[in-house]
Amino acid sequence: MRKYKILIVENDEDELFFMKESFNASGLFDIIGDVKNGNTLFEWLSDKSAQVMPDIILSDLNMPGKNGYDILSEIREKEDYARIPVVITSTSSIKSVMEKCIRMGASDYLVKPESFIDYSSYAEDLYNRCNLKILG
Amino acid sequence: MFTKWNLLLDSIADGILMLDKDGHMIYCNPMVTQITGYEEHELLNQSFSKLNDEVADAIKTEYALNMAFRTGRFAAEGWKSHKAQGRFWGQAILAPVFDDAQQFQGYSCVLRDNNEKKKEEISLRHSEERYRLMVEGVKDYSIFLLDTEGHIVTWNDGGKYIQGYSASEITGKHFSIFYTSDDLASKKPEMELRIARQTGMYQEEGWRVKKNGSVFWASIVLTALYNEHNVLIGFSKVTRDLSERQKNAESLRESEERYRSIVEQVSDYGIFMMDEKGRIVSWNEGAKRIKGYDAKEIIGKYFSIFYQEEDILNGKPAYELTVARAVGKYEEEGWRLRKDGERFWANIVITAIYNTSRNLIGFSKVTRDLTERKKTEQALKESYQSSRQLAEELTATNAELSAANQELEQFTSIVSHDLQEPVRTLKSFLQLMNMKLDQGQFQDLKTYLEKSIHAANRMKGLITNLLDYSQISKNELVKENIKITELIDYTLQNLKASIDASKAEITVAIDPATQCIDADRIQLVQLLQNLLSNALKYTDDKVPQITIRCKAENGYVKFQVTDNGIGIDHNDLNKVFDVFRRLHTVKDYPGTGMGLAIAKKVVERHQGRIWLESEPGKGTTFYFTIRES
Repeated sequence: MRKYKILIVENDEDELFFMKESFNASGLFDIIGDVKNGNTLFEWLSDKSAQVMPDIILSDLNMPGKNGYDILSEIREKEDYARIPVVITSTSSIKSVMEKCIRMGASDYLVKPESFIDYSSYAEDLYNRCNLKILG
Repeated sequence: MFTKWNLLLDSIADGILMLDKDGHMIYCNPMVTQITGYEEHELLNQSFSKLNDEVADAIKTEYALNMAFRTGRFAAEGWKSHKAQGRFWGQAILAPVFDDAQQFQGYSCVLRDNNEKKKEEISLRHSEERYRLMVEGVKDYSIFLLDTEGHIVTWNDGGKYIQGYSASEITGKHFSIFYTSDDLASKKPEMELRIARQTGMYQEEGWRVKKNGSVFWASIVLTALYNEHNVLIGFSKVTRDLSERQKNAESLRESEERYRSIVEQVSDYGIFMMDEKGRIVSWNEGAKRIKGYDAKEIIGKYFSIFYQEEDILNGKPAYELTVARAVGKYEEEGWRLRKDGERFWANIVITAIYNTSRNLIGFSKVTRDLTERKKTEQALKESYQSSRQLAEELTATNAELSAANQELEQFTSIVSHDLQEPVRTLKSFLQLMNMKLDQGQFQDLKTYLEKSIHAANRMKGLITNLLDYSQISKNELVKENIKITELIDYTLQNLKASIDASKAEITVAIDPATQCIDADRIQLVQLLQNLLSNALKYTDDKVPQITIRCKAENGYVKFQVTDNGIGIDHNDLNKVFDVFRRLHTVKDYPGTGMGLAIAKKVVERHQGRIWLESEPGKGTTFYFTIRES
């Protein structure tokens, strides 16, 4: 079974903590980095020392600085990373928000789980979607 | 003897003067003083020319004396000098005086006052002139004088029009020239003169002949003229051409009658006639209805009676007639007065009326009362205005509502995200602790507990701020007069703890011209406090240097809060006022993301403006304006 290299964009350290805990426990993902917002994301990507590019970027939507929308519109203009799928994740389940993200080029949109306990099924769901996006 | 001569001279009713050889007055009787107004001593040894009207006309005087000397008598009438009245019409008769030895001694002069006689003569001449002109100017009647034999002596314009002769070709001819051959054969002209001579007058209607040979139906009056001695001096003859009249009289009368009755009965329009001076000569039912006057009280009055005082002072009535005369018609809408003094809005047309010989004989004036129509128009216009205003208000309200709606949508979306977040964190840590307890792992429990408490506090902070925000939007503003210095002092006092902790340097510079603002004190304190808190918070560990400036600008007080903090990226300038917008992570700069949203709301509710300038790494300046008291 293939492990996907994932880069997480999340400003809330608690949220990040829960994600990391769950993803590591699931054994489905290899977390290659975490950043606080779009600004630090693009810094991370352009950093020459980072030899490994992620298979997938999982990004929160509302963040100080460059938010999820900013990431979506900016990443399409960067030749080197334009192909990396960006999955947006947020607590919001408002349909117009989800549609906007897809329209702006998000590979998928996942509503954040109700609480920590549901993160294991969230990880599995994300993994299945990744299989569809990346393999097929 | 001497006394007798003196008595005679003193009592003569004419002025008597004695002049020396050179024409100097050496004697005058009392009558001279009465006639000329000059006292004896004012005249003696003065030249006789003093009494001439033209001052010291020595040449004329010398001529008169010369003539008297040569011919023995010289009489002249003319204007003489009067001391008080300036001049009088006088006659002076000069004669040379010789003594017994036939030696020339000077002149005698009789001075007579002919003033009254002259005045009569002048006025008579004027009145004769007037009559002559009047008669000559009459065009509808041929009026002329005949001598006793029937020869034409004078001629007028009417004669020129009716009989066709000019004065020069007809004067001196016998009046029988106007008669048909039949009348001449029967000696009708002689018969007419005879009757006029015997009875004083002869009149008839009959055929007469014009210069071009055509005949016309004439009405003639022949009157015998006698002088004061009752001697016949001639005849006057007045001739009128009735042919046109006779032909048209009947139909004209009928048609006039028809029009008159139509016009009189019209009641929607005031229709009346004026003579050429603007005096009312006819009046109809409509005029009575609109203006309130009866025919008998208004006829003969000037039409300016319908005008407001201001129009009369401006000479408007006369101006309107002038225009009508010049271009044929004058039309306008304007205020006019009814009999009771009430104004009405009138449409008026004044038309100049000419007779068949193109002479102006007066004006017609048609007046319509537009007051009702004007009122309706006004009402329509007002209702249109108010519905347009209503539509505009509705559009504005609609725009406001959709803006509010959009804001609300954004608000709920952000709130749902941000409020859920601490709840989720709290719940997650509780689940994690539960799991760890099950697994018998206790080492991290304390950390998880602290994080839970922190999340709960954050939640509380968010809710408090949301409440503040909604209060600002919802509550009525409690506006009062606030002194700017007090406002700033109070705010700084509130922030004393943070200011002291950060050792911030705060400079306040208030333009002395700015005094007070009209605002909600609580909200203004909150606004300033939020801006200052940010200035204290986003510092990158530098000692905060904050300057507060105030100055008056176009009826507003412009506030300015400048810091030396981390600054804001150019792309983020328009994001800072959004609800829950944090440009920085909570860990770096704690806060709820509500401070500037609240600040903006406060300024907007006070109809002010808020904006900022910033340079990353150097500092930020926030500006806002609040209306001055």
